[in-house]
Amino acid sequence: MQMAPQMGYDRAITVFSPDGRLFQVEYAREAVKRGTTAVGIKAADGVVLLVDKRITSRLVEAESIEKIFQIDNHIGAATSGLVADARSLIDRARVEAQINRVSYDEPIGIEVISKKICDHKQTYTQYGGVRPYGTALLIAGVDDHKPRLFETDPSGALLEYKATAIGAGRNAVVEVFEADYREDMDVDAAVLLGMDALYKASEGKFDAATIEVGVVTLEGRQFRKLVPEEVEKYVQRVVEKHGSAEEKE
Amino acid sequence: MRSIPQRVNTKKNHENSSDSEGVATELLILKPEGYPLSGMIEDYPIIENKDVFECYAREQWSGCVVRKGEYLFDRRMFPDFAYKIIEIEPAESVIGMSTSIVVSEEENDPLASTEFKNPVCFDSVVGQELAKQKCRLIERFLEEPERFGKWAPRNVLFFGPSGTGKTMLAKALATKTEVPIIPVKATQLIGEYVGDGARQIHQLYDRAEEMAPCIVFIDELDAIALDRRFQELRGDVVEIVNALLTEMDGIDERAGICTIGSTNRVHSLDTAVRSRFEEEIEFILPGVEEIQHIFELNIETFPLEVEPCDFAALAKKAVGLSGRDLVEKVLKTALHRAIIENRETVTEKDFETTLSKLIKKDENRNPDRLYV
Repeated sequence: MQMAPQMGYDRAITVFSPDGRLFQVEYAREAVKRGTTAVGIKAADGVVLLVDKRITSRLVEAESIEKIFQIDNHIGAATSGLVADARSLIDRARVEAQINRVSYDEPIGIEVISKKICDHKQTYTQYGGVRPYGTALLIAGVDDHKPRLFETDPSGALLEYKATAIGAGRNAVVEVFEADYREDMDVDAAVLLGMDALYKASEGKFDAATIEVGVVTLEGRQFRKLVPEEVEKYVQRVVEKHGSAEEKE
Repeated sequence: MRSIPQRVNTKKNHENSSDSEGVATELLILKPEGYPLSGMIEDYPIIENKDVFECYAREQWSGCVVRKGEYLFDRRMFPDFAYKIIEIEPAESVIGMSTSIVVSEEENDPLASTEFKNPVCFDSVVGQELAKQKCRLIERFLEEPERFGKWAPRNVLFFGPSGTGKTMLAKALATKTEVPIIPVKATQLIGEYVGDGARQIHQLYDRAEEMAPCIVFIDELDAIALDRRFQELRGDVVEIVNALLTEMDGIDERAGICTIGSTNRVHSLDTAVRSRFEEEIEFILPGVEEIQHIFELNIETFPLEVEPCDFAALAKKAVGLSGRDLVEKVLKTALHRAIIENRETVTEKDFETTLSKLIKKDENRNPDRLYV
């Protein structure tokens, strides 16, 4: 969406407009929309993150475009928006996780780390001379035998979701989730649902090489990224499903 | 004293006296033509009271022998202001005290309809089926309004990136239908002084009502329907928007007028103006097949021969360009290359080179590497 200048109320982040809006923070959310889609889904036995990386040139090494990060053993995060901001936030999250381990000798809670990140983002909307982070994070992990999934946005707002998406294809993905999400599905079904949603959001440009999947299961309590072969299998299943649907039509 | 009016008029007076008594003019229709020279200060006469003006004119011009096409110059309030005689009855006669003098109304009207010059047909607007359908509906309504009852289409908004055919479709509508269409550039409506804008909008709709059923097409609507929050940027935003609001759907029902607005900045439109459009039709960038169609349609009018080319392949490369880009930046440039190199034919290579240059430019514009 193209935004017009808002009568000077967008000049400083610390100035409210008369109707109570912080325009710079809203513009930072637009930066998130410029990023490619990242989705997160809670399953009964774990939580999954999926991203669709955009590769503009065949000369780029696809692995160097990072959208899914490991924060701690049991926590992963997917980002969308400004790359550099994302890396700085991830770094901060990793340090927070380690501080928690050193201080309390236990893994950090997902909600705790999400709140820490949000507190940090919030300070960048309240003081002069800074700009907000142009990045949203999906933080996924397992604590107290429960899968958790949080979304943090540039304003520092925090929400827990059953399934959600950030980035360019958000609306299309959420539409799919509204229709098809069930709380009792397992990790395998959740990955498929996520792929399905990404397929619809990408409007046909769907390629196993640009998809990344991260999973934390209740059983293992260990974050891991799926290897390309595993991703390829899921992609094939989704493409086949849609291919046969198209043939029927 | 002023030479021009005197010379003309004295001559007339001489003729008058030599002809002894000419035939008395019965009817004289004048058109204001302006001053012979332009200078720093110019007052433009506005006729307040037609009867008084008639007396005033009879008095100063009585005795003049006049013919159609000649000029009469005012000698009193607006010295040297010229009126052209556009109608006279009988043909050559003398102005007397019983001559009725009428000044034609169409004095430099800023709203005078700018007729579309080049005829365009619906088919030359490629794609945009939704918009075309709506145009046909409007056409239908204006032809047989009784079928619609009180459910008449009134206001439609065309929006989308520039060069996707919004104005062209309006041209097509104007060419095709018998129904009069009043095309206005929104910037024309703003006027020089604060207050002009609102007045001209009301005038526009007054005239449209006289012509009803008709279509008012406002191009670049965002110039006059800017969000009222922008009052600070331009002082007359509120009054112009309010004028437009009352005209589009206000106290007095303007029956039989359809307004079509076009803009490529739909988000800066006032929300109240937007809500008055019953339908907002988005014009989208052409797809591969449509691009191919645009290519094929337009090369038909090339003055040079075109060697057979693979337009399907070219079209794939051109995705993301608008209709205007395709015609103006790809086809035209390719043709110009062929002309400047004195070739008899336009080749596929010409199209390819112009296209690849364009695409390169677009890539530079997008700092997408920043975002992931």
